[in-house]
Amino acid sequence: MKPLNLIALLLFLGVGTWVLTWSPHTVREVQFTYYKAITPFLHGGSGIDNFARAFVKEVEHSKTLERKLQAIQENYEGLKIIEGRFLEMERENAQLNRALDFRERTPFKVIPAKVIKRQPSAWWDTVTINRGEPAGIGPQLTVLAEGGLVGRVDKSFDTDVAEVVLVSDESCQVSVYIEGTPEKGILSGQPGQFGGDPLLRVRYLSKNAAIQPGMRVLTTGSGRLFPPDIMVGTVVRRIPGSYEDEALVKPSVDLHNLNVVFVLTGDQPNETGDKAEDKE
Amino acid sequence: MIRYFFSVLGLLLLTFILRQFVPVIPNLYEARIFLVPLVFLCASVTLDVSGMLLLAFLTGLLWDAQHTLTPMHQEGVDMLVYPEPAETLKFGYSIFLFAIAGFVMQGVQPIFKEGKWQISALVTAVALFLYLFLELMLLFFIRGHFALTTNTLKFIFYSSGISMLFSPLVFLILFRLAKAFRYRIRYDGLRKQKRPLH
Repeated sequence: MKPLNLIALLLFLGVGTWVLTWSPHTVREVQFTYYKAITPFLHGGSGIDNFARAFVKEVEHSKTLERKLQAIQENYEGLKIIEGRFLEMERENAQLNRALDFRERTPFKVIPAKVIKRQPSAWWDTVTINRGEPAGIGPQLTVLAEGGLVGRVDKSFDTDVAEVVLVSDESCQVSVYIEGTPEKGILSGQPGQFGGDPLLRVRYLSKNAAIQPGMRVLTTGSGRLFPPDIMVGTVVRRIPGSYEDEALVKPSVDLHNLNVVFVLTGDQPNETGDKAEDKE
Repeated sequence: MIRYFFSVLGLLLLTFILRQFVPVIPNLYEARIFLVPLVFLCASVTLDVSGMLLLAFLTGLLWDAQHTLTPMHQEGVDMLVYPEPAETLKFGYSIFLFAIAGFVMQGVQPIFKEGKWQISALVTAVALFLYLFLELMLLFFIRGHFALTTNTLKFIFYSSGISMLFSPLVFLILFRLAKAFRYRIRYDGLRKQKRPLH
């Protein structure tokens, strides 16, 4: 190796190691600067992302329509396509109405936010939302959608964007209990679930836990992360273990098709795990 | 060299913007075009070792600025309730991964300089596969488990393959930049040597 290259390599290793030792504050400063620069493009990028997803849906939808249209006269083809589009709009309308209704029904003080970027990373299940520090959103706040828990805010910026780590990610751990049983455990996502509906895993259940498929899984409220009694999902299967059982849980929220989410601010009705413990 | 390097850096920054517009492919194991790593890999075969390392440092820094998650234990979480918080990769890890992938590309530089960019284009897929695979292994290592699934491998495979398809375009842009800034990427093998007439 040439001496110059050797010096460059040693310098690189030194500076790279120095970066690894950066404090969380310094890292956040760097991330803040990066997001400040990238935010205008994040908003623009969401349009393309939505278009691509809508296109895929349209293709799938068209296939279904094609089968139906073969059974009726050709004259109705155009009408059926219009009907298909109308149904799509009606579905979106219903979704927005449900979201609005959810905001009115929920006992929490919530901030609605739109998902502007899905899955920006390869290995982390995250989404980017269009609300940040100016809207009062800070790290670790709970994120909900119609149906239940979505995840928690990982970082937020004063450029009105925030990164949400989904409950399907392995790094998002949630203290949960299984309704109708004394079972409590820690729920988290599983790695490597590409191309399918994600299943969550509850660990630390007692040996031979009396749980059945279909039982509801809710947050305990312990651990200062999530408020109690938020629906997380339903049990799909119990996995017996040598010392403790585990359970696979289907999330109650369609995490692949998130459009509108709600971020819980600090004003929550109950921030302790007392309620969950009382149920036992 | 310096002017070319800065132009490549500009291209890379542009790619960081463009990647915000690139969606995932839901029907193909959520595969995606890894634009930033692709541009880095293509550029690293055109640069010398020191230039590649500097590029790896800057790319890794910006890459991690968007991707790294905040560890749970840094946010005042009750560790009695969450006894085993999932570890996340430290900010700065990808600097080293980019450098490793860059060295793979440097390995085919002699062939590239002969004008055979097609080989380099194929190697971008290999280097990208290696990058993603190493990143995943690193994640498994710090989390203390190994959960490699077929779907994960398919995700890496398809993402590398799809990204590779765009490498000729990136090479074309790099050749244009090199020409504009009078940087000599290819110095032999491009033109057929005329044999002297006897």
